Amino acid sequence: MIRVENLSKSFYHQQDESKILIDINLHIKRGECIILKGISGSGKTTLLSIIAGLDRPSKGKVLIDDEPISKLPDIFASKIRAKKIGMIFQHFNLFENLSVYENVTVPLIPSGLPLDDIYRAVDKSLKVANIYHKRSLVASRLSGGEKQRCAIARALVADPDIIVCDEPTANLDSQNSILFIETIKELHLMGKTIVIATHDPLFENLNFKSRIVPMFDGKIDE
Amino acid sequence: MNEILFSNQVIIYLLSESLLFVLLFIAFVVSIKIVIKWDFDSFSQKQFRLEKEAYLVSTITIFLFIIKFILLIYFVFTIDSLSILIAGAMCGAGVVTANEYGTYLLLFKLIIIATLILWFYLNSYDTHTKNYLHMKKKSLLFIAIFISIIFELFLDFQYFTNIDTHQPVSCCSTLFGQLEGANPLPFGLTIPLLLTLFYLLYFLTILTLKTNYRVLYIVSNLLFLYLAYYAVVYFFGTYIYQLPTHKCPFCMLQSDYFYIGYIIWGSLFLGTFIGISDALSSIWTTRKYIKNSRLVISMLTLFVVLSSIYVIIYYFRNGVWL
Ligand SMILES: Nc1ncnc2c1ncn2[C@@H]1O[C@H](COP(=O)(O)OP(=O)(O)O)[C@@H](O)[C@H]1O
Ligand SMILES: [Mg+2]
Repeated sequence: MIRVENLSKSFYHQQDESKILIDINLHIKRGECIILKGISGSGKTTLLSIIAGLDRPSKGKVLIDDEPISKLPDIFASKIRAKKIGMIFQHFNLFENLSVYENVTVPLIPSGLPLDDIYRAVDKSLKVANIYHKRSLVASRLSGGEKQRCAIARALVADPDIIVCDEPTANLDSQNSILFIETIKELHLMGKTIVIATHDPLFENLNFKSRIVPMFDGKIDE
Repeated sequence: MNEILFSNQVIIYLLSESLLFVLLFIAFVVSIKIVIKWDFDSFSQKQFRLEKEAYLVSTITIFLFIIKFILLIYFVFTIDSLSILIAGAMCGAGVVTANEYGTYLLLFKLIIIATLILWFYLNSYDTHTKNYLHMKKKSLLFIAIFISIIFELFLDFQYFTNIDTHQPVSCCSTLFGQLEGANPLPFGLTIPLLLTLFYLLYFLTILTLKTNYRVLYIVSNLLFLYLAYYAVVYFFGTYIYQLPTHKCPFCMLQSDYFYIGYIIWGSLFLGTFIGISDALSSIWTTRKYIKNSRLVISMLTLFVVLSSIYVIIYYFRNGVWL
């Protein structure tokens, strides 16, 4: 499903090279739930964005269903991203002045699907994410937990195989964090492949099958 | 002579061309690297860096195309406006032929625009393959464009430094007027024959474009371009000027004729260049169909209709042909 091979990423400031990711190897099977665990600055966000095709590596491979996403021309990379990957960010990244319903519709606009199909998909993912009752509210008026659920609905609307979450509970209270984990469990039972970057200890003892991958200083200790 | 070189238009023009050249040089170096080292199947640091730089080249070339296109129009405009400085020149025709470089320079500019459009199509076909199948071809084409531009820049400076404003030049009336009955048309054509071929080739071009006989289309469109030039100068133009003796490709660029020349020549050249680039690159990349046949048909049709309409209007107004 997702295969990361000898992946390295460096940033350059003038002549100084700082190595953010060093020779990462990671193989994620279909339906697996991966917890990328590491302190702030260990390179989790960088790794996630390369996996999702938002950033490019300095060397090495990322294969999504055998397609080298980090090498493809933009039109192909964004197609894969739109079809196969749903993303949930720490700061939710919603359009604050659009309604919940509109926010969730956005990813389907370029799909060219008939309107009826779009409405059906949006309704379905609003229900799965448990935010259907707030669908006509403007995003700026939502609480943190509700924003999170709106972001989940948006990530699910195109029915992606892979869900990528970056620090999903960093802005949630513990009750909403537990609710979030419940939703993740449902997605896991639906067969989605899930990658979560977090340093939240709540993810250490999940009541469903998951694999913790510790990250430290741009390396994965396995 | 420095009156020309230091006129505002020429300074702006030459400065823009020279500045552009700096960017081009960067893209040129990368293109050479690509031709030598590109290996898409490699996941090494070098290859990733090269892919990033290739992206830079694309961006520079797209920028280059936009600027070159504007500069070509500006060049024509400059030439036209310089005619007041040169003794005997009444329009661009006199300025272009003020020394031996002008005509070549103008032709060169047209060829460069055509090649850039070809690059554009190749690029667009390239980014629609998953592995940049045509990257090396594209880079080779860019290198060719770069070399042409060096030559063009040389011609630019040669041309503008070698115009003598005091030396009277001959302008359209002598350049394009019939010299002692000699036939200026190619292949010994007469005007009625030229017009017949003009319209026949127009239809052949459009038909072949639609049916995807691409080589036939390219030949037909090139021939059409060639004959259309003569048809406009020696026939349609006389109706634009409403003077049977005035034969000139440049005067119609002036405000007296509502700048119609820009649209007439623009639609002819762009239509042809876009069509041929599309066809050539689709052959080169072994694609089945060309992409923008509708755009090409509209442009060529605009050209034909616009040229013809002057003749028809003249006839309805005056009840006679020129
Ligand atoms: N665009 C960038 N330029 C330079 N350094 C960066 C950039 N993005 C991230 N970094 C650095 O990379 C390291 C890892 O960042 P990140 O992947 O965000 O870690 P995490 O998500 O685990 O907190 C940090 O030290 C950060 O400063
Ligand atoms: Mg982070």
